[in-house]
Amino acid sequence: MNNSTLNRRGFIKSVGVGGAALTVVGCSSNNDTADTDKPHYVMVFDQTKCVGCGRCKDACNKVNFLPEGMARLDLERQTDRVEGEVCPKCGKTECNCERKYVRVSCQQCQNAPCVMVCPTGAAHRDEETGIVTMNPDTCAGCKYCITACPYNVRQINPDTKVADNCDFCLHTNLAKGELPGCVQECKFGALKFGNANDKSSYVSKLLAAKNTERVKEHFGTDPSLYYIAITKEEI
Amino acid sequence: MTGIDFSTGLGGTVAWPWPIAVYLFFAGISGGALTIALMMRFYKNQTDNTPLLKGATVAGFVGIALGMLCLVLDLTNPLFFWKILVFYNFQSVMSLGVVVLMAFIPLSALLAAYALREELNQLPKSLHFILPVVDALVRFRRPLEMLTLVLAIAVCAYTGFLISALIRFPLINTSVLPALFVASGLSAGAAVAKVLAVKFFKEDLHSAEMNVLHKVEWPVMAVEALFIFMLFSSLIFGGSAGSNALMAFSGGVWTNLFWFGVVGLGFALPLLFSFGLGKKFAHSSQAFYMTSASVVCGMMCLRMFLLYAGQIYSI
Repeated sequence: MNNSTLNRRGFIKSVGVGGAALTVVGCSSNNDTADTDKPHYVMVFDQTKCVGCGRCKDACNKVNFLPEGMARLDLERQTDRVEGEVCPKCGKTECNCERKYVRVSCQQCQNAPCVMVCPTGAAHRDEETGIVTMNPDTCAGCKYCITACPYNVRQINPDTKVADNCDFCLHTNLAKGELPGCVQECKFGALKFGNANDKSSYVSKLLAAKNTERVKEHFGTDPSLYYIAITKEEI
Repeated sequence: MTGIDFSTGLGGTVAWPWPIAVYLFFAGISGGALTIALMMRFYKNQTDNTPLLKGATVAGFVGIALGMLCLVLDLTNPLFFWKILVFYNFQSVMSLGVVVLMAFIPLSALLAAYALREELNQLPKSLHFILPVVDALVRFRRPLEMLTLVLAIAVCAYTGFLISALIRFPLINTSVLPALFVASGLSAGAAVAKVLAVKFFKEDLHSAEMNVLHKVEWPVMAVEALFIFMLFSSLIFGGSAGSNALMAFSGGVWTNLFWFGVVGLGFALPLLFSFGLGKKFAHSSQAFYMTSASVVCGMMCLRMFLLYAGQIYSI
């Protein structure tokens, strides 16, 4: 009798300690706080300047040698207008004011679900720059990163059969010390790129001065792609 | 619409197509069948190779092998599968699953070899080299069976954890999913093991063991229904994201699969066969096979529904 109560107590104790240990281990894995010694590369997309010309997309394809029919970024054309009603911008019922574009590409999450779920560690954060990128040699093509991405901006490269994402031209232009292809090629200044941890950088000042938004922040992914949105003029 | 957002993506609508649902199905059957048979073995202190154990180990090994086949064929290049075995990321549910499966697959094969020791004698001569290996390992049978029981439950639950980690899909990003997959794996696994035991290993339809199983099945099914209801209610109370995903149950593309497949085949038909058509029919072998078949189909429909409707109703 005595023996069995002791055992039970011991059992409860070990379960408690084990559970607490597991909780600590489980919670700590995600808590790597921003290290300000390291760069934090961000991109700012200014919707007020983008005309949807698509030069960024072409430049990206060229710089990163993407196969035909594949793109790491896209521009989604959107509108504020309701069909049949007057345009909130110009007051006419027929106009072309409604055109506005949103950059669709990897959001470079600080807390990236793709990196978390990748079974082989192929989707990883580059040690030096913190940029989310791919190691094509270890990617098994399981597509877990693609389903896990809350933004649906990952895809399989039809040539290499492994997953792919926008990594700010980490292995191409950035490696040469140049700006990402899209930023270089944008004639309208709609794309800005730089290190947000460097207070003197242009993007730091831009983020401090402008109202910016990020996509689907409620997922807790902490994206590094910032958007300056066209705000409605009425009201 | 408030806030900036985009609705197009660079990938397709459904990144994980039907082979993954079939994999979840086979893994559930495999884990469920072994769990049921091993629990029965420990509960009744059995030492002989019962027909149920034989049926379950066959379902266990063949199930997981077919599941692996689906998984590998779904890779963008099946020849890349070795990378998952070589590189690990222990933050990833899939990587943890690989560790579990690496132990579970050989163990399920070994358990099948233990249970089918007599049948193995009839193998062609060239395969007889297996026999001394199995006989040498027979000393470890009990501990290995216990380990396999734990791993079998883990495999069922793992298939749930695997897809519940996908945060953009409110229908499957719920903590009840692994539990639901264990419950449905148990009922479908039991059905398959029973059918194999009766059909191929000469188990009597009304043996004591079968009666225990018949009694266990209803509570398992009730728990499964409860979990589905919990999943449903988590969407009702889950804000706008949840209410959008609720459309999957009421008028979306996959609604019919849920109501006719999951509810009809999985729950209503088995109830009808067992209680609605009289005792005589309920005890017949037709009722036995039809019930088992509808339970298994219902489970397949559940995996298919969750995977497809889950990926379509994203936020």
